[in-house]
Amino acid sequence: MNYLDILKNSPDMVSPGISACQGCGGELVLRRVLQVAGENTIVAVPPGCMAGSGVVGWSHDSGMKIPVHIPLLDNTASFLSGLSHIYRRSGREDVNIVAIAGDGASADCGFQSLSGAAERGEHMLYVCYDNEGYMNTGYQRSSTTTEGSRTSTTPLGRRFSGKQQPQKYVPLIMSMHGAAYCATATPANMPDLIRKIQKGLAASKTGFAYLHVFSPCPTGWSFAPDRTIEVARRAVKSNMFPLWERDGDGWTLNYVNERPIPVSEFVEGIGKFSKLSERQLASIQRAADERYAAVSALASIQNRA
Amino acid sequence: MYDRHFVTPVGNRGMYVLDTSSWRTHRPVMDKATCVNCGICMGYCPVNSVRWSEGGGYYISYDYCKGCGICAAECPRGAISMEREGGEE
Ligand SMILES: Cc1ncc(C[n+]2csc(CCOP(=O)(O)OP(=O)(O)O)c2C)c(N)n1
Ligand code: SF4
Ligand code: SF4
Ligand code: SF4
Ligand SMILES: [Mg+2]
Repeated sequence: MNYLDILKNSPDMVSPGISACQGCGGELVLRRVLQVAGENTIVAVPPGCMAGSGVVGWSHDSGMKIPVHIPLLDNTASFLSGLSHIYRRSGREDVNIVAIAGDGASADCGFQSLSGAAERGEHMLYVCYDNEGYMNTGYQRSSTTTEGSRTSTTPLGRRFSGKQQPQKYVPLIMSMHGAAYCATATPANMPDLIRKIQKGLAASKTGFAYLHVFSPCPTGWSFAPDRTIEVARRAVKSNMFPLWERDGDGWTLNYVNERPIPVSEFVEGIGKFSKLSERQLASIQRAADERYAAVSALASIQNRA
Repeated sequence: MYDRHFVTPVGNRGMYVLDTSSWRTHRPVMDKATCVNCGICMGYCPVNSVRWSEGGGYYISYDYCKGCGICAAECPRGAISMEREGGEE
């Protein structure tokens, strides 16, 4: 089915009015994942912008039409491991067990539980919406924040300007866990995103499925809310965020980038990058080139076999 | 004190729904004469405010639309324009 027909026939599982900012990439990812997962789903959303926007409930009200739980910032994958076991033992493998967690909850605080669940092959779909920082508590840096970014804990100063360390490239680390499925996606590449959600859900019935979704944050990154999709598109075109997937057959590059745009075109118009030095820009470019080369090489191994 | 509220604290009263339509400074207006019903705006709306009707094609629901402008920026035909809200009378 065409992705538009899928969306037309998939009701929204989230409350229609939640307090995520105008143009929030995370809200778009959240709604699409749960539309595709449908009502036979249990979802965990740890503390972060999505939980804080009201989807895990507010006072005595629920924020979703399906069962939703807010685990701790650090234990989402452990919590869902237990839940997944109970459902399997009860013969209810039909129920989708899904996490929608931020980069802080996945790549930093929750990384031990995430890595453990992936390595054990727990049956679930774990979606990380990566907005490159602890946005809900005021835009602090995380391990996935791009080098040179201005955040509230890496301000622009004379001695140090922006984040000093390179971004930790989490999806490739996750792919080395031997999970049933691992993929990157962005909201700009909507048909690809929808297909990967479907594939991830199918894989979650036999093992661990991980989806890392680039999720631009207009408020924390300082860009106009109508540019969210364009920012994600440029992340792919500049190789900041290559699109690939790894399943039982190996690695596949989903967007073969014959003419990458320079990362200077990606950072353009994003406030958090407004004071990048030449050295920082060169370092970001190198990181983008390296990750595209790495993923291309992995994809070529599969083709040789 | 330990009544049902504490057994199922969340969801026993209904759905949390915020009136996000009041956030808009601009509203997206779709020109159906220019629109080719490609559906791109529906796929990209973070609030699911672009809807589909069997008879009339794609349209915008203003109930929760936050006025982010993504639909207008992404429409390949330029069929959506952002028009200033009138504000409170
Ligand atoms: C152990 C722990 N430390 C700190 C917090 C406070 N806290 C709540 S949300 C949040 C940010 C989480 O960042 P991320 O997972 O990236 O989600 P985002 O807010 O960016 O959507 C933090 C630090 C917490 N809830 N638990
Ligand atoms: S701060 Fe960023 S991630 Fe959080 S709700 Fe706003 S736009 Fe979304
Ligand atoms: S993106 Fe533009 S042309 Fe396509 S359905 Fe929306 S308004 Fe119509
Ligand atoms: S302005 Fe934003 S919220 Fe409103 S319909 Fe367009 S994309 Fe959706
Ligand atoms: Mg985050």
